[in-house]
Amino acid sequence: MNMLTVGELRKSFGVIAAVNGVSFAVEKGESFGLLGPNGAGKSTIINMITGLFPPTSGAVHMKDIDVIKNTKQAQKLIGVVPQEIALYQSMSARENLKFWGRMYDLSGSTLEKSVDEVLEIIGLTERAKDKVETFSGGMKRRVNIGAAILHRPELLIMDEPTVGIDPQSRNHILETVKRLNSEGMTIIYTSHYMEEVEYLCERIGIIDHGELIALGTLHELRETIGDHSKIVLSLDNKTSNHEIIPQTLTGHFLEKDIQLNDNQLIIFHKDPQFILSDLIQSVTSTGTKVTSVDIIEPNLESVFLHLTGRSLRD
Amino acid sequence: MRKTWTIIRLQLKGFFKSPGSIVLMFVLPVLFSLIFGGMVANSEENKPLVNIVAKQDENSTRIVELLKKNNHFEWKKVSFAQAKKNVAEQDAIAAVVIPTKIQQRMIDKSPLFDIIVQRKTEDYLALYPHLQGTAELIAASYQAVGIQGEELFPKLLEAVASNQGIKVEQQLLQADDSTQTSINLMIVGFAIMFMMFGLSGAASTILDERIGGTWGRLMVSPASKLQISLGYLLSYFLMGWIQFAVLMAVMNILFDTTWGNLAYLIPFASLVILTVVGFGLMIAGLVKTKQQASAISAVLIVSTCMLGGVYWPIDFVPELMQKLALAVPQSWVMSGFKEIISGSLHVETLLKDTLALLGFSCLFFFIGLRGIKFE
Repeated sequence: MNMLTVGELRKSFGVIAAVNGVSFAVEKGESFGLLGPNGAGKSTIINMITGLFPPTSGAVHMKDIDVIKNTKQAQKLIGVVPQEIALYQSMSARENLKFWGRMYDLSGSTLEKSVDEVLEIIGLTERAKDKVETFSGGMKRRVNIGAAILHRPELLIMDEPTVGIDPQSRNHILETVKRLNSEGMTIIYTSHYMEEVEYLCERIGIIDHGELIALGTLHELRETIGDHSKIVLSLDNKTSNHEIIPQTLTGHFLEKDIQLNDNQLIIFHKDPQFILSDLIQSVTSTGTKVTSVDIIEPNLESVFLHLTGRSLRD
Repeated sequence: MRKTWTIIRLQLKGFFKSPGSIVLMFVLPVLFSLIFGGMVANSEENKPLVNIVAKQDENSTRIVELLKKNNHFEWKKVSFAQAKKNVAEQDAIAAVVIPTKIQQRMIDKSPLFDIIVQRKTEDYLALYPHLQGTAELIAASYQAVGIQGEELFPKLLEAVASNQGIKVEQQLLQADDSTQTSINLMIVGFAIMFMMFGLSGAASTILDERIGGTWGRLMVSPASKLQISLGYLLSYFLMGWIQFAVLMAVMNILFDTTWGNLAYLIPFASLVILTVVGFGLMIAGLVKTKQQASAISAVLIVSTCMLGGVYWPIDFVPELMQKLALAVPQSWVMSGFKEIISGSLHVETLLKDTLALLGFSCLFFFIGLRGIKFE
């Protein structure tokens, strides 16, 4: 059963098409990742799903609820962790959680119980009475998540929830998301950190320039680049005949799997360990010295690079 | 309604936790009222001195009595030389010389009084209409008895001087209350000005919330736009009323201020506060950052308060400015409060002020709500 169905979603701001015909579905209990560089359109998609603004065209359904027509009904089932730390800084963590709980129709002992549980989940029970402005960036991010899960939403949408925090807090957040997902909460997680998406998400959609350019499990996405590893040879810059190297290698590798960038030779291959010695021999036979060798296993970064010709962090 | 009330509580809590808001909304208006209200009261005790130079004859005595009917000034009979000296040294704002042959002057239709004045100060400008009016009254009395009845003239003057005529009586009544009304209006004026600063500052927190993300988070919560808007607007309205009520109470204690008929005051003050909330909302809707809102508010509030008669009575300014003042809400606010506080309630005037303020409120809310992005 689909928890969320997005069909041909488009959003234009004037002449700029921020989102251009995106379609995907998220199953109940699934952990779905939206990966893409900054400005790709991830947040715009999220904002349309959460009903913050209407799409120019297209449809969004949460279970059988039309989100565009019955926004408030759908919003009761959704928890949103915005990219910003959307909290009242001069209020304590508990006060913030109580305020946001009331906004989701919680009250009385149910609210108190829920706030206590959430403080436990985000690991801030001891600091509950402290003002948010006194918290570290990571702690604020945790409260930011807490405010979205008070009402136990069926769908939790997290928009870059780990931006600018320390590794320890990031780990805590990732573990929290894992735990919520394992308890049955459907998660949509957007990030430009591929490691997070790889770690958390069963299926991943890659967004670039407002379009969904790939969709599938991590394995399926790797398959799109032939599950090739990346071999990076750093070349001695004192030798000047690098240009002839690709010609030398064309007999052994496909032309599309060879890239020469300044003093780096990049080769994509399924079994790097078997061809590495031959590769180095071929390169050195041109009179070029190899100063270092790196083998990078295929990941979302290489998928993105393969699909767009750009790095995720460009 | 529960969500609206939650937002109201949040906003009021934030407001009362902020020392800046407390100072702006309560301390400064009280302080300003104490300083300037004290000055007004003091200035009433030190009335401007006007010297009179007159003989001891019967006509002069009656004319002096007529002049002294105006108790905005301190009248002192002195010699001609002393009067000149006093005016030269600016101890007296002017000296009125009543000529011996006043009847001859009336026959010649020449000026009735000789005025010695060094500078045409504001006080002198206020004195002049009284002198003019008195002269016209004397001339009219003389014409009434005619040349044949010259011997009746002093008796007529005596009768006029002792007459508690409608015109003079009205002035006296106003004179008794006018200082208190001036102080009350000044307090109201300062309260309105600081309320405008306070509430436009509060309304511009929406801009901060938009940048900070809490506004967006509210928008994706199940709370409706109506509940959210009501929460914010009612909280500003309550802030305004709390300020007004506190100032009313404090000023009642400090100045023994009376606020007129509460049945009129409460609805009118509510409308004024609503207009101020609308003004704050309009500013928040027109700009993008709180800094811009502060800068624009400061310029708009100070200039419109000047124009609208918040700092000084609007009757003092030239006619053109009085007409321009109709374009700012403060002039209608002050006019309405004057009607209520002075006790001389003209329902028609108050109704006009009320309708004008309603118009301003609608305009401000329309612009404000259009500008506030519910996204």
